[in-house]
Amino acid sequence: MSLADLAHPRYDYSYGFLDEHARRELRRRILKAIAIPGYQVPYASRELPIARGWGTGGLQATLSVAGPHDTIKVIDQGADDSVNAANLRRFIARMTGVATTTDTTLATIIQSRHRVPEERLRERQLLVLQVPDPEPLRHVQPDSSKAREMHAEADYAQMWLSLYEQLVRFGRFVQGASYPVVVHGRYLMSPSPIPRWDTPTLHQAAHLTILAAGREKRLYAVPPYTEVRPIEFDDVFFQVERMAGRVCAVSGARHKFMDELPVAGGGSLFRISDTGYLEKLVRAARGEPVTIGPTYYDAVGRFYQPGVLHEPDAVPPEGGTGHD
Amino acid sequence: MLTPVMSPGEAAQHAAFTALLWALSYPGRPQSLPAGAQAAFRLIGATLLDLETGYFTPDPPLAAALAATGGRALPPHQAPYHFYPSLDAAGLDLLATAPLGTYSDPDRGATIVIGCQLGAGPALTFSGPGVRIPLTLRAAGLPPALWALRNRAVYPLGWDLLLVAGDQVVGLPRTTRLEVA
Repeated sequence: MSLADLAHPRYDYSYGFLDEHARRELRRRILKAIAIPGYQVPYASRELPIARGWGTGGLQATLSVAGPHDTIKVIDQGADDSVNAANLRRFIARMTGVATTTDTTLATIIQSRHRVPEERLRERQLLVLQVPDPEPLRHVQPDSSKAREMHAEADYAQMWLSLYEQLVRFGRFVQGASYPVVVHGRYLMSPSPIPRWDTPTLHQAAHLTILAAGREKRLYAVPPYTEVRPIEFDDVFFQVERMAGRVCAVSGARHKFMDELPVAGGGSLFRISDTGYLEKLVRAARGEPVTIGPTYYDAVGRFYQPGVLHEPDAVPPEGGTGHD
Repeated sequence: MLTPVMSPGEAAQHAAFTALLWALSYPGRPQSLPAGAQAAFRLIGATLLDLETGYFTPDPPLAAALAATGGRALPPHQAPYHFYPSLDAAGLDLLATAPLGTYSDPDRGATIVIGCQLGAGPALTFSGPGVRIPLTLRAAGLPPALWALRNRAVYPLGWDLLLVAGDQVVGLPRTTRLEVA
């Protein structure tokens, strides 16, 4: 054995930026998180050259999993080109040598803030979600030690009460993003601030999801083909955001998650929030050869797995004010 | 600036971790490790162990290799990582004391790496998270009492098993429901 067998040339940084102890610790935690779906595993959350709260949890998960043969896509609220996403993508590529893409179907790892892509993820794809607040019980139990006890005892009564109170006060569930879900029939989990539209995509998914909060030092996972149920009552159901009546101003598509863009003089335009998907729709419309994967919601707004979403009993008239 | 490159050791650990990641994500589907037989156990040790954690193994040559990771040799009832290149009745008595975790910290349940042979022996039928439709795998060299021990624990407590056969690894996390024919 020679020294050259053991050491590589001098580099300014470790592979993947994190030192090998940090990476090994993250890897141990990730494996435990997969084995206990939805349980928040504590981890050390090392310093990174990005402030905590800007995606450091997702970044550490990505850096500990990625290898030189991976292809990565980074999105922020659906956009590949926002400042946060572009910086994270450049940093990951510099530190690991991964290829980068904006195409969901080509990526092996997708790091995301607050969205799941419109195109369906497949087996052996990894979705890394950045999480600002991993604790779904925070607003009913601000003491995180007590919240941990509630998780240990599967005591979610206060959460159900808060859901009931929403109904009594407002006539419907008012939770928007981070709608709490029950994973594998046991742990209440915050799916990170993804819109309700994206919540059912985690249920019986083909892909693996890792959720990591850098500031709160917790990571958790949803393995493939796992039950993920939004909390709801037997007679009042979880609903996704209504996209009916919204038409993408760029592509003309319907029944995808739309960003609302205010226009001068009042009113608003809508545009598909998933920019990688939108780019492919535009290129296909120009007649360029593109491969568009199957989407979670079809052209008439039906979710790809039947029976997961309940239709609302009374549908309000189309073309509402956009306040719902 | 140069893009950092993995050393051969880091590359092997990365490949091993990737195999373990998908083995636990898709229980019952064998994944390939970059090393086989005894070397597979040493590589899994190098991938998961360092001075922040500890291990137990009744196998003296493997114990020496695992000590080189910096991990502490712990008695079986304390060790978060157990390694059994071959599991016999005496090994099973030691394994029986491995931590199952607690309701507040279920992640303290042990990870247990066991050697076996795939493709022969009793049929194991996997279902649960990570398994789309129940799948069956044959594994030999595992004492039947292992399954009764594993089934004592009530979720979320339990052990996460990694079955190693040559350079193949099969994940059996605590969430997997197992039927043994």
